[in-house]
Amino acid sequence: MAVAQGLLYTKDHEWARIEGGTATVGITDYAQEQLGEVVFVELPKVGKEFGAHKEFAVVESSKAASDVFCPVAGKVTEVNTELETTPELVNKDCYGEGWLCKIKITDKGSLANLMDAKKYEEYLKTL
Amino acid sequence: MQGSTSAGQFVFKERAGEPVPSVLYDEHVKLAGKSHMAAFAGYLMPLWYSSIAEEHRAVRQHAGLFDCTHMGVLEVSGPDAGSFLDAVSTNRVQDLKLGRAKYGYILDAAGNVLDDIIVYRRGETNFMVVVNAANESKIRSYLHELQQGRAVVDTQSSPWIAKLPKLKATIRDMRDPSRPSDRRADLALQGPASFDTLGKLTDASGAKRICELKSFAFVQEKLGGIDCLICRTGYTGSNVGVELFVDPQQAPRLWNLILEAGRPLGVLPCGLGSRDSLRIEAGLPLYGHELDGKFNISPFEAGYGWAVKLDKEFFIGQAAMRRVAETYDMEVARIELSAARGVRPIRQDDPLLDEQGECVGWVLSAAKAEDKQVALAYIDRKAAVEGKNLGVYYLARSDSQVEQGRKQAVQKGQKLEADLAGTVASRFAKF
Repeated sequence: MAVAQGLLYTKDHEWARIEGGTATVGITDYAQEQLGEVVFVELPKVGKEFGAHKEFAVVESSKAASDVFCPVAGKVTEVNTELETTPELVNKDCYGEGWLCKIKITDKGSLANLMDAKKYEEYLKTL
Repeated sequence: MQGSTSAGQFVFKERAGEPVPSVLYDEHVKLAGKSHMAAFAGYLMPLWYSSIAEEHRAVRQHAGLFDCTHMGVLEVSGPDAGSFLDAVSTNRVQDLKLGRAKYGYILDAAGNVLDDIIVYRRGETNFMVVVNAANESKIRSYLHELQQGRAVVDTQSSPWIAKLPKLKATIRDMRDPSRPSDRRADLALQGPASFDTLGKLTDASGAKRICELKSFAFVQEKLGGIDCLICRTGYTGSNVGVELFVDPQQAPRLWNLILEAGRPLGVLPCGLGSRDSLRIEAGLPLYGHELDGKFNISPFEAGYGWAVKLDKEFFIGQAAMRRVAETYDMEVARIELSAARGVRPIRQDDPLLDEQGECVGWVLSAAKAEDKQVALAYIDRKAAVEGKNLGVYYLARSDSQVEQGRKQAVQKGQKLEADLAGTVASRFAKF
């Protein structure tokens, strides 16, 4: 199971890449593997605000629909519109082209609850 | 394991336990990895190897090999085996010729479906009965209690109440490792390249016998030296396809031989995911979804009235089936919908709407089948007309959708706006 270095992770298998005051977020390799082939992604509207750990997207595979929780508190500034027509990017490149959206962080304190790659790897071993 | 009956209804409580690895577990882990394995009906089974879509396509264009060793395989033998099976199942068993099989149902005295089965006639007094993995212990318990005179045979007075426990028939588990010989577990090879693949594992005369098999016929042959019952049956809607009943200990060797022989022909190993999408595309029922389940769906509603011989002398549940045959007003329909990119997948319980937006029923199972979505739905018989346009409303998939006002359940007759357009297709599809 691939875990990308330099990202922050949640126990629900979302990741966040922090650059300046913005977080690019997505789901992890473990999450996409568990879901199976992603066939539909429901993304939030640009401008919408979410608290940390609030549902902000739904990823659907042929098996199940799964809520995605916002890893940080903030406001959506951009969504990955490529996923509307090619949702399988989430499977193919979950840490890259399969990103879900960009969030302007409004509460830096919400980062404190996230794990770094090493801790997330250890967490995966306990599952 | 325990069973009890009240008012003709057979109630069974299964003991929960850890899932058992399939006899092919090691092969699956080699091919797919542990993360693709999941507990299903008490077994650890593969969900997919390459991808559900790729495996689905392989079966339609070439062929796919399925691990069905979780399926229950029972032997019913003895002087009254035929009469016993005729009394406990809905189709006509004693008419079966040697080497032929029939599809039917085991019902309780109240007419509830306990399982759908295939009965194979192997001798005058010897039958093989294949039951669903999830129902195997229930069925074995039920048949045992019937033989002991403890399960209800008929809710009215009937000579069969006294007669049935006296029938001489012995039920054995054919997968049991302690069985001295003729052990059988199920593998399935389905799709147009099936016969060519098997032909590479036998001689010319064996290959000819396999190719000449009619639907629901079987032969005993050696494949790569392994004794097999090869039956032209399956669960994918493929015109060409077989189930192979083999000693469970030999199953891994046969599995690898078939994959190797089939590789140049495009044969892929297939998991439970494509097994489900293929059977949905073909319109075939899954127990608990299109049979029994929360709507208590009968064989008539499922489209299999032909497998319930109401005019047979007797079978358990016959009186109830006569009533159902006269009165049923809902049925299983196969619906085709778009699966274009960006179209949200439909799910179980999503309501079907007629052209006025009125709810006429619900999705039972749904899957993506190549370029479309196919649903099996339980709908009003008046709406189940081939070519009729029906819409689907997406029930809420998440809490946030509930907050936005999306419904979590819809009653029949309720009016809504459809999210996706579909059409009633033929009840079954052959490939």
